[in-house]
Amino acid sequence: MEAFFEALLGGLVLGLIYVAIAVGLTIIFGTLRLVNFAHGAFYAIGAYVGLVIAQRIGVGWAFIAAPIAVALFAVLLDRLVLRQFYDKEPTAQLLVTFGIALVVEETLRLIFGATTQQYQMPDALQGSVSLGFFTYPAYRLLFAGGVILMLALVWLFIERTNYGLIVRAGIRDRVMVQLLGGNIRQASTIVFALGAAIAGLVGAAATPIYSIDPATGFAFLVPSFVVVVVGGLGSFWGAVLGGLLIGELQSLTNLAYAPASNVVIYLCMALVLLLRPQGLLGESEVIRQ
Amino acid sequence: MTTSTAADAAPAVSARPSLLWRDVRFTVLCALGIALFPFVLHPLGGYSTLATQIAIVSIASIGFNLLLGYAGTLSYGHAMFYGGGAYIAAILMLRAMPQHPNLWLAVGGATLGTLVMAVLVGAVTVRLYGIYFALLTLAFAQMVYFIVEQAKDWTNGDDGLQALPNALLPIGPWNLDLTTHLPAFPLGPFGDLSDLRMWYVFAGICLLLVLLLFRMLTRSQFGEVLGAIRENEQRSSLIGFNAPGYRLAAFAISGALTGFSGALRGLFDGTVPVDSLSIDRSGSFVIYTIVGGVQTLFGPVAGTAVIMWLENVLSAKTPAWRLIEGLIFVGVIVFLPRGLATVLRQQRDKNPRALFVRSLRPSTEEPDPLLKAAGEGHRGGVMSIIETFKLGKLFGHFAAVRDVDFRVDPGELRAVIGPNGAGKTTFFNLLSGTIAPSDGTINYKGRDVSRLTGTARVHQGIAKAFQTASIYPDQTVRQNCRLAALAKVQGAFALQVFRRSSRLQDVDALAERAMARLELTGVADVRAGDLSHGDKKRLDIAIALATQPQILLLDEPVAGMSKDEARKTEGLIRRLATEMTVLVIEHDMEMVMGISDSITVLHQGTVLATGTPEQIRNNPRVQEAYLGGHSQAELAG
Repeated sequence: MEAFFEALLGGLVLGLIYVAIAVGLTIIFGTLRLVNFAHGAFYAIGAYVGLVIAQRIGVGWAFIAAPIAVALFAVLLDRLVLRQFYDKEPTAQLLVTFGIALVVEETLRLIFGATTQQYQMPDALQGSVSLGFFTYPAYRLLFAGGVILMLALVWLFIERTNYGLIVRAGIRDRVMVQLLGGNIRQASTIVFALGAAIAGLVGAAATPIYSIDPATGFAFLVPSFVVVVVGGLGSFWGAVLGGLLIGELQSLTNLAYAPASNVVIYLCMALVLLLRPQGLLGESEVIRQ
Repeated sequence: MTTSTAADAAPAVSARPSLLWRDVRFTVLCALGIALFPFVLHPLGGYSTLATQIAIVSIASIGFNLLLGYAGTLSYGHAMFYGGGAYIAAILMLRAMPQHPNLWLAVGGATLGTLVMAVLVGAVTVRLYGIYFALLTLAFAQMVYFIVEQAKDWTNGDDGLQALPNALLPIGPWNLDLTTHLPAFPLGPFGDLSDLRMWYVFAGICLLLVLLLFRMLTRSQFGEVLGAIRENEQRSSLIGFNAPGYRLAAFAISGALTGFSGALRGLFDGTVPVDSLSIDRSGSFVIYTIVGGVQTLFGPVAGTAVIMWLENVLSAKTPAWRLIEGLIFVGVIVFLPRGLATVLRQQRDKNPRALFVRSLRPSTEEPDPLLKAAGEGHRGGVMSIIETFKLGKLFGHFAAVRDVDFRVDPGELRAVIGPNGAGKTTFFNLLSGTIAPSDGTINYKGRDVSRLTGTARVHQGIAKAFQTASIYPDQTVRQNCRLAALAKVQGAFALQVFRRSSRLQDVDALAERAMARLELTGVADVRAGDLSHGDKKRLDIAIALATQPQILLLDEPVAGMSKDEARKTEGLIRRLATEMTVLVIEHDMEMVMGISDSITVLHQGTVLATGTPEQIRNNPRVQEAYLGGHSQAELAG
């Protein structure tokens, strides 16, 4: 029973990471129509920046530096390379972002080596919290709460700001939004930086839980794409539902029959794609992209 | 007709020897290139088995390119075929014939097995596009990986299969041992090429045959249609090509070639690691093909050679070799979208499909028997040609079209008009089969066609020209029309991988005829994308016409044209209407009132009125609903 609840909470923590990455993918797709296979690289860069800052300066600074560094990197990448791929077919976007992911992964490997690394949280956060009949690491609970808070802020951004309006409109009709005028360019940059910063921050914050190695970015990216597809490309709540579903599925399968935990999410995605191709909460118009 | 056929046959006969000469030259050059490759590779530091491995893996890259380059879809799961082929071959060796390992049987079985796998996986994936297709193929590859990893009794799990017996290659009375050393070739300062075995000869012959097969396939009728579907799937479906069928065939061939390659690699190495099924493996085919040059014959081979050589030479010298590989990959995508092959100028035909374009046949105004057939039953039939009952379409909760009862007699020219948002285009999409109705039925010549796809309806005789011209911009005007005619002549699907479509006489005749009808013969050899707006719209109609329709649906045929162009097009449409039923959506009231036999007015998704131009002009309800703020003079036109 204890193991079950632990797996359930573990699934929540894992699922929230997927949600955070998937929300970034989704708002970037909505605004830029860019299928970003390099999004996992943002997670990895955030994690390594967080690692270095946490070990040298302090954990608090890591949580500030990681999202800023990743957002800057993303804007640079956008300006230098990705911008010319906005209007290309999705396959070309997949290929170029896949290539960028490859370059980032190998660069990280050269700098930090291939070994798995982790940093420790301050002692205050090291302990466990008693949850009735079992205890759970305090930092994991704090992490889950923090991600939920961050997602709430992102939701407010999408629902309550003018930039968010552009995101929502862009998901429905990209061409119409482009006709509305110039501020979409600025909005694109802000949304791209925001999506990247979310991934970077989560990367830095998750490293004490799931250690980091150069391949981790890609390892988190693929399930996050599964999440986006399962939830529905372009849907915020789809990403939330999909992320929690996939996280729990993976965690509980791991408990029941560990070898199947990596394949069950693909099975889930294949079923969703065959039965409801636009995803659980997706709008059918988006699927043709 | 007789004279023009004879005139046409003459250059074809004289061209034949040169075509054969080109085939022979191609074969000889490829064979030479493959034979000399180890001599180039050895001084460059490639270890002894690398040449053979490159030759083998190239075959998989060529197969992968069929999908990415020619069908236009990115598979991120080709490792399932590569590793799948390797495992099938290895298991056949170990289980089915441990005493007498026969390479033909192992490789043949693996190829067949992966072909079946590709058909099954393709059947569920080919209807998806872009990221969805890539992810679903990845998902299947991961499932295969999982199954293989778990079936430890057969596959040895994570350790993979090792120490495969040395397969013999029975040819006639001989039992060839491929591990036999070839004589050592001295290479002066570079030492000598000593460790080359019979395996290289065998792999080289396989590669040569695959290259020949692939060259033929991409130039065949099948390759032509596959390219058309890649360029404009919407158009291809609505001239009558079964796009999912073509993509499935491409997926199956691609999977089988990859499986064949995987099987050879497993038997050559003597081991099958579980890594041969991994995501990284799938990614490597993407890298090889992109770096070498997608959509080219030699690109994948060149890419495989360059990257595998880099891996083997650089990995010994610097830990940054994978970074270099990644930078090359990104650099090629950004700066050389068609790969290294464009730099090396290995691609001989800039536009492969230009080969299918034949010399201009003089256009004649004599009546065309081919088009006559389409006019059968023209005027005077008692039965309506197309009729809808309570037809409706819901988008979410919005009824774009509802309760439409509509009937057109054979030979009629019917205009469908209505204010913006009246549901006209949705109604046409329902008739042409691009969208399925939510309610009601569509009867065509007395038969219910509402469940048929758009592709099937084209073959029944319903063709459509789009509101925004849907053409093949990279093809010539003639080739645009030839594609439509080809769909008519060959049917929705033909696995015609040996023959070129230029062998089909009717195709040219139909295409020429369609161009002549729309007065496009003068621009027949112009790239369609370079046409003026008006010519593009007329080309779209010509494409529809080349399918020999009995009903032609024209969605705003003169929209955006100048006054003169519009009047010219109007005259062309009027002439077409003497041979077939024409339905036209149009806002140009002068044209509508001038050419229509009858008019149907749609308003808010329903039929407001149907009648002759005179009746519609004088109908007070139409004036009120349709005109809104417009002046009456506009309707009076």
